Amino acid sequence: MSMNPFFALAPFVVIAGTAVAVMLGIALKRNFGPAFAMAACGIIASLLTLRMPWRDSPIQAGLLIWLDDYALFYMALLLSAGLAVLGLCYDYFKDREGQHEELPLLLLTALLGALVLVGSSHFASFFIGLELLGISLFALIGYPLNQARSLEAALKYLILSGMSSAFLLMGMALIYAQCGELYFSGIGRYIAGQQDINVTVLSGTLLIVAGLAFKLSLAPFHWWTPDVYEGAPAPITAFIATVSKSAVFVLLLRYFISSGSYSYAPLLNVFSVIAGLSIVGGNLLALLQNNVKRLLAYSSIAHMGYLLVALIAGGSIVVETFAFYLPAYCMTTIGAFGVVSVLSTAQTEADDMACYRGLFWRRPWLAATFTLMLLSLAGIPLTVGFIGKFYILTGASGSRLWGLLLAVIIGSGLGLYYYLRIVVAMSMHGETTATVKPFGRDRASTAILAVLTLLVVWLGVYPSLLMNVIHSITYVIE
Amino acid sequence: MDMIGLLGWIPLFPLLGFLILALAGERLSKSAIAWVGVGSVAVSALLAGLVGSEFLTGTLQPYHLALGTWIEIDELSIAFGFYLDALSVTMLFVVTGIGFLIHLYAAEFMASDPVLPPFAIPCRPRVPWELQRPLDRSETQRSSKNTELNANASAFDLGYARFFAYMNLFMAAMLVLVLSDNLLLLYLGWEGVGLGSYLLIGFWYENPHNGYAARKAFVMTRVGDTALLIGLLLLFRQLHSFDIQLLMLRATAHWPAGTLMPVAAAALLLGGALGKSAQLPLQTWLPDAMAGPTPVSALIHAATMVTAGVYLIARTHDVFLLAPPVQFAVATLGAMTLLMAGCSALVQTDIKRILAYSTISQIGYMFLALGVGAWSEAMFHLLTHAVFKALLFLAAGAVILCCHHEHSIFKMGGLRKSMPLAFWSFMIGSAALSALPFTSGFYSKHEILSAVYQVSPNLWAMGCLGALITGIYSFRPVFVVFFGVQSHLVTKSPGWRMNLPLLLLIVLTLFGGLLRLPLDSVFPLVFKVDRQPNLVSLITGAAPFFGVSIAGLFYLSGAFSAQRLAAYRLLNPLRNLFFSGWGIDALYDALFVQPFKALAKFNKHDVIDDLYTMTALIGQWLHLTVSASQTGRIRWYASSMALGAALILAIGRQS
Repeated sequence: MSMNPFFALAPFVVIAGTAVAVMLGIALKRNFGPAFAMAACGIIASLLTLRMPWRDSPIQAGLLIWLDDYALFYMALLLSAGLAVLGLCYDYFKDREGQHEELPLLLLTALLGALVLVGSSHFASFFIGLELLGISLFALIGYPLNQARSLEAALKYLILSGMSSAFLLMGMALIYAQCGELYFSGIGRYIAGQQDINVTVLSGTLLIVAGLAFKLSLAPFHWWTPDVYEGAPAPITAFIATVSKSAVFVLLLRYFISSGSYSYAPLLNVFSVIAGLSIVGGNLLALLQNNVKRLLAYSSIAHMGYLLVALIAGGSIVVETFAFYLPAYCMTTIGAFGVVSVLSTAQTEADDMACYRGLFWRRPWLAATFTLMLLSLAGIPLTVGFIGKFYILTGASGSRLWGLLLAVIIGSGLGLYYYLRIVVAMSMHGETTATVKPFGRDRASTAILAVLTLLVVWLGVYPSLLMNVIHSITYVIE
Repeated sequence: MDMIGLLGWIPLFPLLGFLILALAGERLSKSAIAWVGVGSVAVSALLAGLVGSEFLTGTLQPYHLALGTWIEIDELSIAFGFYLDALSVTMLFVVTGIGFLIHLYAAEFMASDPVLPPFAIPCRPRVPWELQRPLDRSETQRSSKNTELNANASAFDLGYARFFAYMNLFMAAMLVLVLSDNLLLLYLGWEGVGLGSYLLIGFWYENPHNGYAARKAFVMTRVGDTALLIGLLLLFRQLHSFDIQLLMLRATAHWPAGTLMPVAAAALLLGGALGKSAQLPLQTWLPDAMAGPTPVSALIHAATMVTAGVYLIARTHDVFLLAPPVQFAVATLGAMTLLMAGCSALVQTDIKRILAYSTISQIGYMFLALGVGAWSEAMFHLLTHAVFKALLFLAAGAVILCCHHEHSIFKMGGLRKSMPLAFWSFMIGSAALSALPFTSGFYSKHEILSAVYQVSPNLWAMGCLGALITGIYSFRPVFVVFFGVQSHLVTKSPGWRMNLPLLLLIVLTLFGGLLRLPLDSVFPLVFKVDRQPNLVSLITGAAPFFGVSIAGLFYLSGAFSAQRLAAYRLLNPLRNLFFSGWGIDALYDALFVQPFKALAKFNKHDVIDDLYTMTALIGQWLHLTVSASQTGRIRWYASSMALGAALILAIGRQS
């Protein structure tokens, strides 16, 4: 029995509706707290309405959205991540000059774009979602209008993002020209019907890959990453790193499986090159970096490379790997940027390594949280990051990708060095010369960091909790 | 009520005790520390009693408690689970029961213990010729330590908390080891007890010799542990599981007896067992491990941890049944160890070292039994040995404490009157050790020897010779310490917390032979115990009496004198050989330690290090090179993105 598509679309409708409501609210009276509260309520309501399509999934909701367990799982992830970022933004912006009421509005539209991406099964929804996300992000990055670095970052993102969209559209056009199909599954049927590799379709797919690799900050399309990460406000950086990248990766995997692109061996070769470059390049770039935000940017390049290795490995485990790695990555990344955002003042971002010198002696809990997040990013056992990396290694060794496996191992070794550099700086004695925000009443951020810390340890010690959820979801991607 | 479900809680309480003592130990008062440290083990023992009695009165079907899964990817499933059958019940009783008594004893024994050891533990004589000089303990050192004692009042309780924290940690790990249903969790417990042993041997860390002994124990057992690790990975690789019962089933189903795989697996498991149980050729750490406090020696180095190897072989006996050559090696090594250690025990002068060598020797009997397939006999001897050896160590501890930390038996004497309980404890313990009738040791050793005879008369003869030697070395300290002229003035007498464990252990030693646990439900029944008196059982039964008589002639009646024997030129080198544990320490020193040291000295400016320095330099150079690409110029970014797109198109079209 099919459900009324309107009800199935409820999570999208709620987010969109909240965005409109927040906008109208601002038009009536500017009020910082209520705008954030309304946005938070909207996200929670959207999370709750996810239950509605869950019972009857998979559902074709409208022409463009396909809601199966896969999509719903990641929608829940993205909404939770969005909520956490919203909380961080509240504490980050509450004491600053200027008008910040549009921020939750933009976050909501960006989130809507991400949700559409996750649920899309058609080139149109694919492109709409991506642009909705990208344009909202552009505004979010440049939100602190009085800061030159933010504006520079926003402009860079806008121009390069436009370029990647051009690649993307060209790729879609090539594929449509050959197959006459815009549905992923239709492309899959076309590819399955062909004997040989079709050069036009291959070129189109490669251009799409180039466009998506930009969003995922994979080498050699990663150039924007450190500049934008550095320029954007810390919570927004967390949003770019988690929500935006997760949504794009989820889409990439779905497109790859639905369109049967695994049968295109050259694609896998291209991916191998991209993954190898990203892992080695990202880690090398991060090695002696003294700016923590840039360091995390480079490390995210490497992390996306690791995940791409899982995609190349394919097999039955790839969907499970994604479903574990992405939540793990989101948790730790939001946690790490959360610490940066808590320490940032209205004048300067806490991105210099000097800000962290002796943090263990001044704010032990915060330093412990940051250490835990860094260790999880490095993949140390008893953190959730270890299990994630374990999945990657299992997948890669299962598919005998020895070269990439070597890259992952070397990358992890390099990674440990620069993550530990921060930990060492935090545990050194001595006063810092940099200005950091004194101990304040950041209730929302504190609560979010506490929850994330618990999750990182809990899922690291007892990952079957999440694994059971993943296993209970049936993965039939069509 | 379903008591058996409480199984999962048993290791938890010592772990909690450890956490409390480790985190808050410095803030607790001394009595609170004792309550936590002893209480946690008491609760475990109580639970073990409830669970065990319910299991034994039931159908004896193995009980499996799944606690959850850590990782489950493909066929790799790392589960937490406990498995209870008659074998693990035996170990559970030994560990919690004796563990509790020893903890109670230690609460008093360690109460008067300063952080600093009140004396320097006699250092291990490295070279035989040092023996000619009596082991002297410098008086000046002792008095200087005593004055420091008062200054260290605050550190005083910290040592007490630290002691019980380590003990509880050890208990938790040991319980995990014996209850685990899979090899990986067993390995966790295995390493955990190794850590506990290391920490407790080196408990009096101010004396560098104790640290040396602790490191020696750790490194020597690590050799075995590595073999065990390789063994369990081999089993996983070949049979695709860590679950012990599943592994045994698959091994029996897939592997023909005597082929390479079961032989390799069994040999590697045996390697682990030899290290932990201090059997030839990895036995040299145990006598030195006596550097730890006496309750530690009783718990870890006599009753529980050192028998873990026996437990491991019994637990995986199906693999050993598939590997006859390895089983033969088990028996041979056991027989050789029991003889060699017995000879060494004959000539020791330190009361704890005598007991240490006797432990090695008795575990040799257990290995002998395992080697001939007498599984339940081996486990029975493990049980009785744990009881009487704990009794002996605790009695020795009482003597040592009341004689102001005197260790040499020749400096004690005539303590029979002033320490009656210690005397009777030692007497009964030694009777059981040498397997005199009406003690538990008699039943267990007799069963082993009669089983061995049915397989190999040669091994049986070695066992009987060992029994004779056992009779000598176990009564030698009894006669020397408790008879003759009293040389020490005993100023203090032990309190109830030390006396009660001694009394209970005496009872258990006397009547422990009646404790027949239904081990036949686990092991294939191989041997019929022959109750008919015949020549074999006569010799088996008479050997210890000869031994005791010899000891009596030498040390009680004075009909013969050991000094006169030592006067023979030929015998003196033999004595030195025995004393030094057959010179194996010196052999290993020459074979491994010196070459390693020479290598380390030769490679003082580590060549290998250059490799890492180079890696770091290359990393730095590469970082600087790639960093140059991050110009911040959007022109460059956009054009390199276009180049990148062209590149991937080219790669895609080419391949």
